[in-house]
Amino acid sequence: MSAWRRRGFRRRHLVHAYLFIAPVVLLFGIFRVVPAVQTLLYSIYKVELLRGRFTFIGLENFRALAGEPAFAQAMVNTLLYVAAIVPVSAALGLALAVLFNTRFPLRELFKAVYFAPMVTSTVAAAMVWWWLYNPQFGLFNVLLRLVHLPDQPWLMSSRTALTSIIIFSVWKSLGYNMVIYLAGLQAIPQQFYEAAMIDGAGPLRRFWRISVPLLAPTTTFLLIYNGILAFQVFDQVFVLTGGGPANATNVVVLDLYRQAFERYNFGYAAAEAAVLFALILGITAVQYLYSKRFEVAY
Amino acid sequence: MGSVGRLLLFLVVTAVAVVMVLPFYWMVVTAVSPASDILAFPPKWIPSRLTLEHFTVAFAKAPWLTYYQNSLVVAVVSVGCSLLFGLFAGYAFAVYRFPLQNVFFLLILSTLMVPVQVTSVALYVLLARIDWVDSYLGILAPNFASAFGVFLIQQGIKAIPLDLVEAARMDGAGEVRIVLTIVAPLLKTTLATVAMILFLGSWNDFLWPVIVINSQELRTLPVGIALFKDPYGSINYGPLMAATVIASGPMLLAYAVSQKFMIRGIALTGLKG
Repeated sequence: MSAWRRRGFRRRHLVHAYLFIAPVVLLFGIFRVVPAVQTLLYSIYKVELLRGRFTFIGLENFRALAGEPAFAQAMVNTLLYVAAIVPVSAALGLALAVLFNTRFPLRELFKAVYFAPMVTSTVAAAMVWWWLYNPQFGLFNVLLRLVHLPDQPWLMSSRTALTSIIIFSVWKSLGYNMVIYLAGLQAIPQQFYEAAMIDGAGPLRRFWRISVPLLAPTTTFLLIYNGILAFQVFDQVFVLTGGGPANATNVVVLDLYRQAFERYNFGYAAAEAAVLFALILGITAVQYLYSKRFEVAY
Repeated sequence: MGSVGRLLLFLVVTAVAVVMVLPFYWMVVTAVSPASDILAFPPKWIPSRLTLEHFTVAFAKAPWLTYYQNSLVVAVVSVGCSLLFGLFAGYAFAVYRFPLQNVFFLLILSTLMVPVQVTSVALYVLLARIDWVDSYLGILAPNFASAFGVFLIQQGIKAIPLDLVEAARMDGAGEVRIVLTIVAPLLKTTLATVAMILFLGSWNDFLWPVIVINSQELRTLPVGIALFKDPYGSINYGPLMAATVIASGPMLLAYAVSQKFMIRGIALTGLKG
């Protein structure tokens, strides 16, 4: 770089630099940054799209949100979903990664199988699960009947619907969590385990005292990544339950979608988007504060 | 590990694999089984005879080839533009030093934090004004460029020795030519990974297309399947699973062929779509 600087590289290429970044900056400015800021602004306006009228109403949309039981329910459901899916897929992913960190026949094939749901479209996969969850003829209840267990209502009951969606999401994301943990495990130098074995540490002790602490950066990454994605959950809820029964599986993004694009309550939906944004920002802030603390260098 | 431990491990791994595969297997079996098999108890794990009748019904009820075409056009244009724009922007951020460089870079990366879920309301209002709602352009609008692509390409370019670039400059090659004929070929692996991840993301994307598309003939595959399930009509699982096979089959085949590349790409970059 310094050699270039001596030849007056900087000035000659200033034009190139701005021309080269212009498409991305303009496209992102127009289609992402401005709409993001505008959505936040809309949350304090009454938006009447057909009349092209925007009326400032302060925090009225947020007040409406706070007073709306359906939104409270969507918020609770989203938080429950996040609180369940994030630790469960990470824990199962870690357990499987430990198994996969040994040698056994067909290991690569198994890994590919575990990962397959991840590359499948959520809508298509959820459609299959919708069939599996069918209370009368769906495979899950058929299997329960085969072993003489009582049928489950799955998606049909407000008691079990959210859990059924969570089970689907665990199935969908398990392979990803496993592969990430496996990469983390394989990066841990073997000497650590050898030294611990010489000191007489058993496999469980080695797992808790070496693997788990050294995997802290991987765990942090997965919790945050899964958390951000889980707050945005939409596709599977849309397909499996459409938010029902009786709002039992309604989530923030689904409610936002309905309010904005079925009822044209743009201001109200923008307020929901602002809440969602605050949640994602919150997780990112936590990540920023904690990521440095868990850095590991070998 | 003893041989008993080994056997136990293999059994656990196999059991989980069965759970992972079961939905795929049942999708295919339902799609090719006669109607009587689908509702049979105990379940028919192997179809009593193979039938394509559900596929005929699925094709009669919805224009799947049109959905394919829509998904493909959107994915190819969005991946192509993102790669091209990302290559030049990544080059600029990796090689040049210019005022406000970090501001622009952070601005681009910050969009990773703001998903379309958050921007959709105002984006829709904007597209309605310029008459892009219900068009390819509407689906593509937020996907012409990829922040993640710019970032990965910038990292990739930083890792290649700049002597090559400098030698080309000595030979009188212009900057555009250097990017296209020297940098791009050296970045093949990175570009392939970025292309694969963006393609997958576009192919499976549902929320934004379902927001911005109203006409049936513009639906992408995920929108097509999601709206194929008629919530009030009679529920017919054979054609529904046939539709799901039609929609998810090619991606699963591509995955079967290139699973190592896809797993590594998705895992290394820590991102899906």
